[in-house]
Amino acid sequence: MSRVLVRVECLGKSYPKAFRSSDRLRALWRLLFTQQAADSITVLDDVSLEVRRGESLGLIGANGAGKSTLLKLITGVLTPTTGTVAVHGELGALLELGAGFHPEHTGRENIVMSAALHGLTGAQLRAQLPRIIEFADIGRYIDEPVKHYSSGMVVRLGFAVVAVLKPDLLITDEVLAVGDEAFQKKCIAWMQEYLDDGGTLILVSHSMYHIQKLCRRACWLREGRVEMTGDVFDVTQAYLAFQERKTAVDAKTEHPHAHDVEFSVLDVRINGHEGEVPVAVDDGETVRVGVRLRSRDGRKPAIVVGIVRADGTPVYGVSSDMDGFEPTRTAEGIFDCELVFERHGLLPGSYSIRVHPMDPEGMRIFDTVDRTITVRGTSREFGMVRLPHRWSACVETTS
Amino acid sequence: MTRIALTSEFVRRDLRERFSGSFAGIFWAVFQPALQLGIYAFVFVKVFHAKVPGADSPGYLSFLAVALWPWNAFSDATLQATRTLQDNAALIGKVAVPRALLVFARVCASFFIQMLGFIVIVIVLSFWDAHIRLTTGLLPALLLYLPLFALTLGFSFAFAALQVFVRDLIQLLGQSLPLLMYCAPVFFDRSILPVSFQPWLSLNPFTFYAEGFRALVLGHGSITWMGVIAAVAVSLVALLAGLALFRRLDRHFEDFL
Repeated sequence: MSRVLVRVECLGKSYPKAFRSSDRLRALWRLLFTQQAADSITVLDDVSLEVRRGESLGLIGANGAGKSTLLKLITGVLTPTTGTVAVHGELGALLELGAGFHPEHTGRENIVMSAALHGLTGAQLRAQLPRIIEFADIGRYIDEPVKHYSSGMVVRLGFAVVAVLKPDLLITDEVLAVGDEAFQKKCIAWMQEYLDDGGTLILVSHSMYHIQKLCRRACWLREGRVEMTGDVFDVTQAYLAFQERKTAVDAKTEHPHAHDVEFSVLDVRINGHEGEVPVAVDDGETVRVGVRLRSRDGRKPAIVVGIVRADGTPVYGVSSDMDGFEPTRTAEGIFDCELVFERHGLLPGSYSIRVHPMDPEGMRIFDTVDRTITVRGTSREFGMVRLPHRWSACVETTS
Repeated sequence: MTRIALTSEFVRRDLRERFSGSFAGIFWAVFQPALQLGIYAFVFVKVFHAKVPGADSPGYLSFLAVALWPWNAFSDATLQATRTLQDNAALIGKVAVPRALLVFARVCASFFIQMLGFIVIVIVLSFWDAHIRLTTGLLPALLLYLPLFALTLGFSFAFAALQVFVRDLIQLLGQSLPLLMYCAPVFFDRSILPVSFQPWLSLNPFTFYAEGFRALVLGHGSITWMGVIAAVAVSLVALLAGLALFRRLDRHFEDFL
């Protein structure tokens, strides 16, 4: 077991409501003379985390989920309202753009300041300064005031300081998004090397690509609470699926779940599982969709089964009458059938399996039942489905 | 060790910020007081014919300068330090800096400038005024800056912390600091006041310094050990109280900045 570098226990943070100056005065009074907490807005609630040496943790979540607040609490910029944060080891943080740079001062002066804040003494700094300037690679701008920098240059400078000082723990907040392609590559290469050398990283990013590339674990924050922690692929997939569902909800037109229609779906089983709980299947596993339908007048219905992405993008759809299949009648007005996707080609992610009954003529769709499945796996392929393919050594030319 | 490096970096940064963009840079620290003194010489000596009471008294200009520069150190440092946390809000919001160090560095920077001015002024004036004792007066007088520094630091910690919550404080200070100055014998000698008022002046913490600096540098009036001990005690109490208040509020600064 490697050493725990960061331990966060039951952490909570509330910001005081301080819009008017009278609020500030009241808050001051309370802080000085009473134990009573000020009126506040909770942004982080009961968060517990552990990061061990050599680990890389990605923090994901929507805007306002509390990611930046959590980072600020870990770096000690903010003090927690409840709970504790313990950091063992030297910490380097890149919070937002140009962490603490003074716009009036030159790049060089700001490097010196930042190095002093990282605890470097004069002699150490003189040794490191040329390397920092070299890493930042912003040419003559180094002696210009930072206010004349482009945002990319500010990031370069900030990253250069951290890259050369190599802290035990690196915390970065969405900074990779700003640099140009070349610098992003340089940063990612540096981070990968840093991680290989046993460095520890906490990364906040909205880019799942960066998170998956650099982190082995991830933590999903939602409205100030930990929604999920674990393997980076599981967490990012769950997060993306959640996001997709959220967007889909707005677009979705609500189908009335009428029982008194000609045909309705009684129940859908995915690999034998009933109910609303999402079913997890492995990459390349066989998926069985069992359907039970009710027909009001006893006529034999047809069935449409579709697979859609959680945001509603269709992936595949097929109906029983297309394939010339008919469901079996098991009781008065009840029909059963099963659709089997042998070794499904879905890529990891979240999908809905959508089932509709159709009249025997194959003309009208009646009911709609959605069931969620989550495809587990760590495939790095892109898209939704895996197409059969092969690589070959040479280019085949058509003659 | 790293604390020292950080503090000196903060001080350097403060000094740079103050004089950044000006051609003469740090030399303003010397020009400015000389200019100010020239104005006082014109207004008080030429226009008002101000004189220090008593036979064999020092010239009014040295009488004023020797008390005014320590006051400037106190007042400038307090005002500057009060704004420290607000001025550094961007830094405080992004990096875990020891905030007390920022205030400390501001006070150091102010004292550095004002003490430099004091030394230059006293040396310059010594050419005109034979009352000024350079070796036996100026050096001990510099020691007097120590309790003054502690006193200022105490006020600075308290005001810097309170300023975060009550933004009006700096306006209030800008008005009340001159009042405090006029209630101390900076522009006048205690002896010109009605006798019944004279003891009340000792309640002003700066009275001791105005008279102390004069006693040491000009030999005007006297400085007692009792006075020194009382001043040191007051300074230490102010420092501890200011620091205690700062510590108490330290963890909440970021929420209110």
